[in-house]
Amino acid sequence: MELTSENANGAVIVKAVGRVDGANARDFHEGLESSIGADGKSMVLDFAGLSYISSAGLRVVLLVAKSLQQRNAKLAVCSLTESIREVFEISGFDKIVPVYANSSEAVSGLEI
Amino acid sequence: MTDIQPPYKILVVDDEPDLQPLVQQRMRRYVRSGRYQFVFAHNGVEALQCLREDEEIVIVLSDINMPKMDGLALLDQIPKVNPNIRSVIISAYGDMKNIRTAMNRGAFDFVTKPVDFDDLKLTIDRTLQQLLEWRDALGARDRLVALQNELNVASQMQQSILPKRFPKGAGYEVYASMKPARSVGGDFFDVMRLEGGLLGLAVADVSDKGVPAALFMMSSRTLLKGAAIGLGKPSEVLGEVNNLLCEDNETAMFVTLIYAVYDPSTRMLTFANGGHNPPVLVDAEGNTKRLPLTGGVALGLVPDLEYAQTSITLSPGDHVVLYTDGVTEAMNEDEEEYGMARLEGLFAQSTPSSAREVNEKVVGSVMEFAGDAAQSDDITCMTMRAKGHDH
Repeated sequence: MELTSENANGAVIVKAVGRVDGANARDFHEGLESSIGADGKSMVLDFAGLSYISSAGLRVVLLVAKSLQQRNAKLAVCSLTESIREVFEISGFDKIVPVYANSSEAVSGLEI
Repeated sequence: MTDIQPPYKILVVDDEPDLQPLVQQRMRRYVRSGRYQFVFAHNGVEALQCLREDEEIVIVLSDINMPKMDGLALLDQIPKVNPNIRSVIISAYGDMKNIRTAMNRGAFDFVTKPVDFDDLKLTIDRTLQQLLEWRDALGARDRLVALQNELNVASQMQQSILPKRFPKGAGYEVYASMKPARSVGGDFFDVMRLEGGLLGLAVADVSDKGVPAALFMMSSRTLLKGAAIGLGKPSEVLGEVNNLLCEDNETAMFVTLIYAVYDPSTRMLTFANGGHNPPVLVDAEGNTKRLPLTGGVALGLVPDLEYAQTSITLSPGDHVVLYTDGVTEAMNEDEEEYGMARLEGLFAQSTPSSAREVNEKVVGSVMEFAGDAAQSDDITCMTMRAKGHDH
């Protein structure tokens, strides 16, 4: 699993590539938390390159959303592949975290 | 394993009378500072006697040529008295044959005669350092073993709360199993006889694995049981359990849970799904279909959610299979997933005739698919077979 982040219109877009499971969920968490930064920008998780996410990974997504909420910022996810979309739908996470087709829609959707 | 502390007790074994006063003289600074304490023996037999009587001795410093029992024979005997003692041999200068024999018999180091006491002090320090590290490692291993024992107890506790005997009614039969990936797991299932001849069925999966998941699993299971008995409707049960789990859930643990109530008199199955994999229906001809999701969110995340429920009427011979993602996401050595398609194709051209047969076929198929790949998630599966009234 690799994370790369870039700034776009006041939000941080983090691209996650590979697999997130119980073994690297902690790395995933630390990587996302360090991308939040002190200024409390909203975050978009771009999952186009993500092949698998376990429940441990979903929990990290939720923890990061809570962490951003405390800074008055928001979290969105975008570019879900078919299998990741299914995980979000089955678990109901698509009702908790806003899902967008791509990162530019996510950034404008977050009303940054 | 008791910790060893200064003064570190060293047994000096030599038949020549001049070594004892020399050691006492040249090492007195370290004795006075409380770092070392020396005791003396004059042959191997005496030395073993000392070791048996005084468990505080940590290092043996021994000559080789001695009456009654020589130093090499002593080396063989020391581990039988105490395997955690380190030995240092004092040999004649250049006596490589005896030194090699001594090292082969477990001596940690050697010094040569005439004894250079600065060198002896360094040798003792080095031996002691290694011994302390060794004992630390042994202590760590003991603590690990103790922790593993506790995990095994936790595992037994967890397995013991899962039903092992399944209720048999006139209109149904049930079978289920849970195979944890580690000592303790985050999956659970439950089967409950409810009022009015109804049957409550639950399969759940807590986020992540290990001890935190196991703790969350235990409380989820208790809350579910209480709500199931008190409330009845699956949608209300999920709403109640969700609210209870959301209280004080700082760690953002969550559980996906499917809860179903079966009424054998009408063969109606009513279920609500909180973020869990959709159940699969296998009929008497082996045809398989996925039951619909009910749009519910995993429990423990957001309070005050309304959960929907769906009802279907089963035919005699229908099997409802509830499972966790340890089934569908099991991986083989090529990192391929088992997947829904395999599960849905499993019963083609077969005529399954019992809950146990269906359940064991699912789990067996997953295990066979995974082969030698390490199991990464708990594998839980529950099957209920609907029977006609005449069966």
